[in-house]
Amino acid sequence: MRLSTIAACVAVVFCTSTFVAAPAWAQDPAPAAGETKSDKKTEDKWVALTGGDIYTGTGEMLRGATILGKNGKIEAIGYDLEIPKDAKVHKVDGMRVYPGLVAISSQGLLGNAGGEFDDTIDPFNSRMVLGLAAGITTTGAGSAAVKLKRFTVDGAVVNERLYSVFSWSGRNPRTKSELREKFAEAARYVREFREWERKVKEQKDLPEPKKSGVDGTVLSVLRGETLAKFNASDRDDLLGIARLAQEYGFRPVIEGCQEGWTVADELGRAGARVILTARDRRSKDEQQVAAGGTSIENAAILHKSGCMVSVTPPTEGVDLGGLEGRDIRMLTIEAGFAVRGGLPDKAGLEAITIVPARIMGISHRVGSLEVGKDFDVLVTDGDILHYKTYVQWAFVDGRMAYDKEKELFYAHIRPRPQAELKVDAGETPRGDAPKEGETKEEKPEDKKDDKPDDKPEEKPEEKKDEKKEDKKD
Amino acid sequence: MKAAFVWLLSVASLVVCADVSAQSHEEAALWRRGAGAKLSERGLALKARKVLGTGGEGRAWTDNAVVLVKGGKIEAVGPARAIEVPQGYEVVDLGDRWLTPGLVDLHNHISGGMGDINDMVYLVNPELKASSTVTPRNSLLQRAVAGGVTSVLYIPGSGTNMGGQGILLKTGLATYEEMRIRDPGSLKLAQAGNPERWAIGVGRSFMNWNTRDTFERGLAYAALKKSGKVQENIQWDVFPALADKTTQVSTHTQRYQVVLATLTMVRQGFGLDVYIDHGEWHGSKLAPLADSIGVNAILGPRVVDPQSFILDTDGAILGIAAEYQKNGHRRIGFNTDAPVISQEELSLQAAMGVKYGFDDSQADTIRGLTWVPALTAGIVHRVGSIEVGKDADILVTTGDPVDPRCSIERVYIEGQRVYDAGETRLW
Repeated sequence: MRLSTIAACVAVVFCTSTFVAAPAWAQDPAPAAGETKSDKKTEDKWVALTGGDIYTGTGEMLRGATILGKNGKIEAIGYDLEIPKDAKVHKVDGMRVYPGLVAISSQGLLGNAGGEFDDTIDPFNSRMVLGLAAGITTTGAGSAAVKLKRFTVDGAVVNERLYSVFSWSGRNPRTKSELREKFAEAARYVREFREWERKVKEQKDLPEPKKSGVDGTVLSVLRGETLAKFNASDRDDLLGIARLAQEYGFRPVIEGCQEGWTVADELGRAGARVILTARDRRSKDEQQVAAGGTSIENAAILHKSGCMVSVTPPTEGVDLGGLEGRDIRMLTIEAGFAVRGGLPDKAGLEAITIVPARIMGISHRVGSLEVGKDFDVLVTDGDILHYKTYVQWAFVDGRMAYDKEKELFYAHIRPRPQAELKVDAGETPRGDAPKEGETKEEKPEDKKDDKPDDKPEEKPEEKKDEKKEDKKD
Repeated sequence: MKAAFVWLLSVASLVVCADVSAQSHEEAALWRRGAGAKLSERGLALKARKVLGTGGEGRAWTDNAVVLVKGGKIEAVGPARAIEVPQGYEVVDLGDRWLTPGLVDLHNHISGGMGDINDMVYLVNPELKASSTVTPRNSLLQRAVAGGVTSVLYIPGSGTNMGGQGILLKTGLATYEEMRIRDPGSLKLAQAGNPERWAIGVGRSFMNWNTRDTFERGLAYAALKKSGKVQENIQWDVFPALADKTTQVSTHTQRYQVVLATLTMVRQGFGLDVYIDHGEWHGSKLAPLADSIGVNAILGPRVVDPQSFILDTDGAILGIAAEYQKNGHRRIGFNTDAPVISQEELSLQAAMGVKYGFDDSQADTIRGLTWVPALTAGIVHRVGSIEVGKDADILVTTGDPVDPRCSIERVYIEGQRVYDAGETRLW
């Protein structure tokens, strides 16, 4: 099928060795030219980052700790962990380790993906590299949550059905009454259905309540099968949504939410899940006495009122036109502006990690560093919310998906000292690598031993002895 | 909602109370009306953890410092142990806060609100004046103040080669007269990259000829004017100031050949004070020449070279400020081109410069936001650093003003507190 096609492409790429990194990305180890190692397929794949300061996102920071991954999941975080011999060990002393960022909404990172994501994601697209460089490992795209898995689409889609989008706007007041009617109708149906369920045990022939005329989408919201999402920013619209949500017992997702800070109490009571741009600017309606317009404190006030706050930058695509600081690559800057408005530092990080993961219903997989979750991990050279910081490496599902030094875009900016990352497993001489010639060609100065994944997965086991010694330092 | 509003009100009133206790009611009222000159008659002593920009060159900052302000000017600045606060001064202990000189943006189009500044009458309009459209305290300017921008060069747009005369203004003051630092603030020159749209469309060779011709005629008028041999002609009234070097040519210039035209024609050819404003794209290749002939580089709104214009980077994203710096330019500033970049995001322009490789180890971001543009526009005797004798244009921040996470809590312009985030937070 399509996956095998891609795998085949990867294999071809590898065979011709025009892209040395390719084998690393192949989901199932692409057979290294001519070699058949199918027996290795079942072998556990271990990866460990040691010595970094680990910011788990939901818990404490662990200074100089180790995070261990197994088959793409986080196996352990802590000190004095026993690292399996064949693990790929990356020493990241002095660096920081964060959960991969979750962009709640973005455009273009997956290529021209839409509809059937498995069919349309372009895992070779350069926007994806830029997304990973910005620390984004998972993104909302339309109503799906997708991971930035390079060179493969296998397992990229995490959740395919996130939202049902509704309109609730003072500019078109009919949408309000119509939606309210739909909710009333669906709620009536749910009540009747429950009653019927209870009674039918005794009265076998009791007819099931009629479903005709009941809006299926609204029904799925009331049953908790999907989230109701609104695009709203005006105070009166937000208030209406909050009241509707409270009345019918669902937690709305609200994108925009510019005047949210003026009705924060109500939104908090409705448990709103908010997607906002901290930097939004909109003037107050001068004919209103009450507070209005945008406020840099929006994120902080909504957070304080009990809303789930996630942020998204002013531009959700990648903009290489030169006006910097406002496109999807600047997720961390947007979180920074939320912090400027009073959001606590920790909530600022959460607004681009665990909160969007929760909103998208994928927090069991991504959004923080916790045992059992996906090994989606960033290594940075500083505080991730600081403007100067770069993502040095990004791992997705335990595989290195981005290495700043090896990609085109940012390698020239503050190149990292080569000593900062050493790879134990299977590093050292390449004499036994199947494609020695080409590999060397790629790494003329070669001491840059920071791209572990550019060699076949099979190798580690071939040099267990060396590894044992290496591990000591 | 009501509850939220009441809550907000109560918070606001708390803040106001705290505020009033620091100043008298009368002073607070005066300040709100913008009649701050009287306020500064009483000396002010600001104590802060760190004061940035306490000098022009080098690593100029002072830790645990005191700044004395009197009559709207900075009277003294130095380490707290070395400064004695005179009797009767209002002492404001700002704790861990930092002080930064008010930021200076030499590319601003919003001091008149919006519009009114791109009259494409002729291809050159040196007689038009941006000063005629200034709207004090418009909402965009108020947010500029909240973003720490206290001085701007308000200039006509770049729809023609000479859009007209800019004006240097203080952003946060109440009247045009109070705001004005210098008029004309500059002659706005746009050498290419917009004026092509004029009339039926024009190209670079014609624009260069026409611009050169205009300078020649204007400077000829200036020479005659000086010797009293010619009647006043307002069409040329900016040229005597240019000839005297009491004002500069601020140039929208970008790309190699266009920057080259700026350097060779305006600086080397006519010997005028000129600077690169709205510096973008690969003009950085001319950094060594620009630096050697004293043409400063004020960069923005673009922070990186758009790849569509640069074909030889192998995909590397090049920071414009970093490239100018790498090529040896020592006078690099940042601009917004507001509203292209909102005025309050001036400091983010510097942050993005650093993101893309600009070396900030010598505090060149702060310098590029304050001292360099002040020097470039010829107003460094008044603004651009926290030094004795200069205007007391001072920001109180929670930390590095370049970091978007750090907020600006107060802004003083000429000793008047023109913004207080505790009262109404605008940014």
